[in-house]
Amino acid sequence: MNWKRIALIGNPNCGKSTLFNRLTGLSQKTSNLPGTTVDSYEGKLPGSNTTLIDLPGIYSLFTNTDYEKVVVKNLLGIDSQNPEALYFILDASNLRRNLLLLSQVAELGIPTAGILTMHDTALRRNIEIDVDKLSELLGIPIIIFNPRTAKDITPVKLLNPVIGNKIQETANFKERLETFVKGTLPEGISAETLLRYNQIDGIIKQCVTRKTKFSAVNTLKIDKVLTHPVTGILAFLLVMLALFQSVFMLAEFPMQGIEWAFSFLRNQVEDWLPSNSTIGNFVSNGIISGLEGVIIFVPQIFILFFLIGILEDSGYMVRASFLTDRIMRKLGLNGRSIIPLVGGFACAIPSIMATRSIRNKTERLVTMLIVPLMSCSARLPVYVLLISLVVPVGVFWGPFHAQTVLMTAAYFAGIFVAIVMAFLLKLFLKNKENSEFILELPTYQAPRIQTVLNNAWIKCKSFLQEAGKIIIVISMVLWGLSNYGPSKAMQNAEALSQLETANGNPDSLQIKYSLKLEASYAGHLGKFIEPAIQPLGYDWKTGIALISSFVAREVFVGTMSTLFQSNEEEDVVGIRQKMQAQLNPATGKAQYTPAYAVSLMLFYAFALQCVSTVAVLKKETGTWKWSIILFTLYGFIAYLSAFIAYQILS
Amino acid sequence: MGTNASEIELDSIYEIESLNEGSLHQKLSEMGCIPGTEIEKLFSAPGGDPVAYRIDSYILGLRLIEASQIMVKRVK
Repeated sequence: MNWKRIALIGNPNCGKSTLFNRLTGLSQKTSNLPGTTVDSYEGKLPGSNTTLIDLPGIYSLFTNTDYEKVVVKNLLGIDSQNPEALYFILDASNLRRNLLLLSQVAELGIPTAGILTMHDTALRRNIEIDVDKLSELLGIPIIIFNPRTAKDITPVKLLNPVIGNKIQETANFKERLETFVKGTLPEGISAETLLRYNQIDGIIKQCVTRKTKFSAVNTLKIDKVLTHPVTGILAFLLVMLALFQSVFMLAEFPMQGIEWAFSFLRNQVEDWLPSNSTIGNFVSNGIISGLEGVIIFVPQIFILFFLIGILEDSGYMVRASFLTDRIMRKLGLNGRSIIPLVGGFACAIPSIMATRSIRNKTERLVTMLIVPLMSCSARLPVYVLLISLVVPVGVFWGPFHAQTVLMTAAYFAGIFVAIVMAFLLKLFLKNKENSEFILELPTYQAPRIQTVLNNAWIKCKSFLQEAGKIIIVISMVLWGLSNYGPSKAMQNAEALSQLETANGNPDSLQIKYSLKLEASYAGHLGKFIEPAIQPLGYDWKTGIALISSFVAREVFVGTMSTLFQSNEEEDVVGIRQKMQAQLNPATGKAQYTPAYAVSLMLFYAFALQCVSTVAVLKKETGTWKWSIILFTLYGFIAYLSAFIAYQILS
Repeated sequence: MGTNASEIELDSIYEIESLNEGSLHQKLSEMGCIPGTEIEKLFSAPGGDPVAYRIDSYILGLRLIEASQIMVKRVK
């Protein structure tokens, strides 16, 4: 009676995850099975030493995607510890289809107890279930339990799973499952499914009475509006706009808080370890800034997944896929790709993580690969600075504000390349699984905030644990590059800056930073790559900024301001004026021309200039392959388009 | 020639007669699209594809090309 591991199993949309959240609360954690990117969750049943496992929701054991394989592997104890017992979640409003999976699972002889959810929905639809009869026919105990409203989970804890009746017995069932896990679908599955349904219909006849025909009236009423050609599309656009705006704007406040907290921390450290000492510099600018570079993403991840959770839980997400399927299909994408792509305009990191809800592997991969082409919020400050080099504020091209036109153009450049990439990837990547829609449209429900918050927090945790490490390591390497240099060059820089201080130059501190950066390895690298980037119109200073902004694109502005000895780090006007005054030593003309700015904007629009994106891609694809391919490919596209733009415009 | 589900009209109830052989057969049957099941067109996405059907007691979205694999006959 004291089970160590109990797995929750059931169809998608049956209330399984809500139940799991209700039972385990905050004790849950994700557990990835080796070789898949499908999450299953584990948590403790309170007041016991039972571990509950939330398996992904599936309709049948024999469908060829990772989800079914994860469930089958779990049940058979392959690559993981097998559960001793099962809680089978049955959606009362949809019993017939739910029983298919139960009839398959029953053949494994694992002690099982049934939990009947959505019983109130079923009653509202005039579906009456004789639970005692059902329990008798299936040979397992069954309780009615509503995880959304239940105050007490004792009924679930009192359940005593037993080995149930085999509803429809198939010869060599276990062997068939084992063949399936190895990758081949066993023979005669369709016929087996028909036999199962025959038995199930017999059971349904004995214990379900339906007084009236199908009557999901509310859901149909809502769908009439939300899938309507006019109101539906309008509602969809509004939801997407709200999603983007929320990630973009709601995250700003906590992100400022994080920045403030870290600068406070740096100031505290400064008292102990002055930042002009090597250790102090390493601690405050290497370690603390590296940490900050990771934690800064948490608000965006949390907000995006909170909103996605609301959309999923309410049932709207599936409708969004339903609405956009026609367009997305043409691009080799999936209706569910739309959320990550919209989210990409705020930040690629949570958006790439959000592709997990796309069940088709190829469609998910293509979505992940084009998300970084959406102009994220970190590109915004770079665009703002560069656009100000092209046209001053207040200039109009016809009826349009010139700066706005350029900004819009930069966004569309990314979208355009993304569409082209999607087409190309569709050609090159063979879609191994059928591209199919076949999607249940669940009943609309009020989202359960507790569940949604829990899930958003779990996403943040897994980001911090997995991608965080890579981001910190690369940040520290970049820190090292811009703080250390060949000793002779560094000594020279030091001597020169001391001379300025001795002369009483009021800007001596800025000059010191600028000189040291120039003398560092990053400075040398910047000069080293100058011949390569000269055809794009960039000088070595831009080269240094390009390298250092690999930490985060907006660092470009900060680096340029350091190099131009600007007082205020974020003062675009100040840097712009200094940049405009700079002459090209070879030609004697202005260095930072409009052609330069357009070329660099294109470069930032396309290049994978973001260590965090690289790290998250590695985490989500499970290999470095795609990170490397994308970095090279998008770098090439960036270089080529910047080159063409500069050569035409200058 | 029978009717397939991609051709059915709103507001009338049909019954599934058979599924065409092919790659979708298994997936559709495990989703409950098996002979004898009631099917009804409920609404469609802008542009008419995909379409939402009632299969027995739940709503299933299908692309027209997928629905065309389901042979149906009119009941009401």
